[in-house]
Amino acid sequence: MEKRLDFRDQIAKNKRNSFFLLLGIVIIFILLGYIIAQAISPERIFFILILSIIISISYVLIGYYNSDKIALSSVKAKPAPREKYPLYHDVVEGMCLASGLPKPKLYVMDSEDINAFATGRNPENSAICVTTGAIKKLDRRELEGVIAHEMSHIANYDIRYMTLTTTLVGMLAIFSELFLRSLWFGNRDRDGRQALFLILGIILAIISPIIVYLIQMAISRKREFAADASAVKFTRYPPGLIKALEKIKKETSSKKKEIPKAIAPLFFTNPFGKLDSTHPPIEERIKRLRRM
Amino acid sequence: MWTIIIIIVLAVLFIFIYYFNKLTVLENRIKNSLGQINVQLKRRADLIPNLIETVKGYAKHERKIIKEVTEARKALVQAKTIDKKIQANQQLESALKSIFALAEGYPDLKANQNFLELQRELTTTEDKIAYARQYYNDSILNYNNLCLTFPGKIFAVIIGKKPMKYVDIAPSEKEIPKVSFE
Repeated sequence: MEKRLDFRDQIAKNKRNSFFLLLGIVIIFILLGYIIAQAISPERIFFILILSIIISISYVLIGYYNSDKIALSSVKAKPAPREKYPLYHDVVEGMCLASGLPKPKLYVMDSEDINAFATGRNPENSAICVTTGAIKKLDRRELEGVIAHEMSHIANYDIRYMTLTTTLVGMLAIFSELFLRSLWFGNRDRDGRQALFLILGIILAIISPIIVYLIQMAISRKREFAADASAVKFTRYPPGLIKALEKIKKETSSKKKEIPKAIAPLFFTNPFGKLDSTHPPIEERIKRLRRM
Repeated sequence: MWTIIIIIVLAVLFIFIYYFNKLTVLENRIKNSLGQINVQLKRRADLIPNLIETVKGYAKHERKIIKEVTEARKALVQAKTIDKKIQANQQLESALKSIFALAEGYPDLKANQNFLELQRELTTTEDKIAYARQYYNDSILNYNNLCLTFPGKIFAVIIGKKPMKYVDIAPSEKEIPKVSFE
């Protein structure tokens, strides 16, 4: 019973976090609008503020309903038809029965690495994507472990929070960069007040994506352990997941990555290797699974 | 004074509605997962005739094993209660194991595309049955916990909901699978 409650707490927390993330993004946009107005043309501040409110709300709404599509297309994921990937479909259907979740849409992405991620805004609108390498190199039980891990991200609503964070923050980073660049071409003779706002604008533009990225990294480590634990709850077979992790550990990951860095936390294991800290080390995950 | 009584009555009513809905939701989940088990069992039974045909094409004289599978399938189709069905399924499972072991001696059969496809499908349905049953038992656990603990017990008795029985797991399945770590 206690475990059940934990599960629900996790869902409530993810929904709450997602809401505050969206709210935070709206606030950052309005702040940015204010700073830009001060820096460029203080007399049109009202107009610019209204504009930034409209932009921020549509940004957040569009992001909320399309973040999964953004994440999937950013890794060039393609739908996985049943005829071509029967085992993949079978394993997912098995895990749906074990978890009581509806079947997510299935995608594959071209990569020799063994990896996978789940995305979407709720279990009814979710998708799982695995690499072609994972389908080729993992056997049934191993693939099942990986899929179970992704299904627990779906069940926990981790997908909503993590997809929103990665896609919205990723795009925010691009916007900040655009803003920084536009400053180079602004007019040069400004008074002191405008210069101050200019500096503030630059600082905000640099710092805001970093802050959100840091939050994202801090949370995703705990999430991975939790997802491993509930994956075992679905399969009742820790060795499947352990062997999949061991295979990944042995892999020499291919050099060239066509994955945007912001999407990294979504994946089963970090696609960029050990340098980034979006995921706990594989050894630690194996150690904890062995104890179950 | 009256306001207090009204508040108490409303509170009791709300708690009652809460437990009634919760018990109903959990009960429906059990029914639904039972349906899932039946769907998979039926799928499994439907695959067998096809398998038999394929095996017969290569290993006609292995009558005993073929008969075993056919009979186990018949028992599964005829079983009425879920416990009986699960039991018949276990028999079918062991009969199928001997068919797949037999295939080792017939390289042509083992390489047959149709046979391989059926083998994969049968493994899949076996997995799905196990997972559906696992979810079924988990749902029963949640339901029974609510039915048997205070204060849910009071409402369960008033509404007339009784705790349910789990689907038994065969002794052979309780064994922990052997795994080696290199």
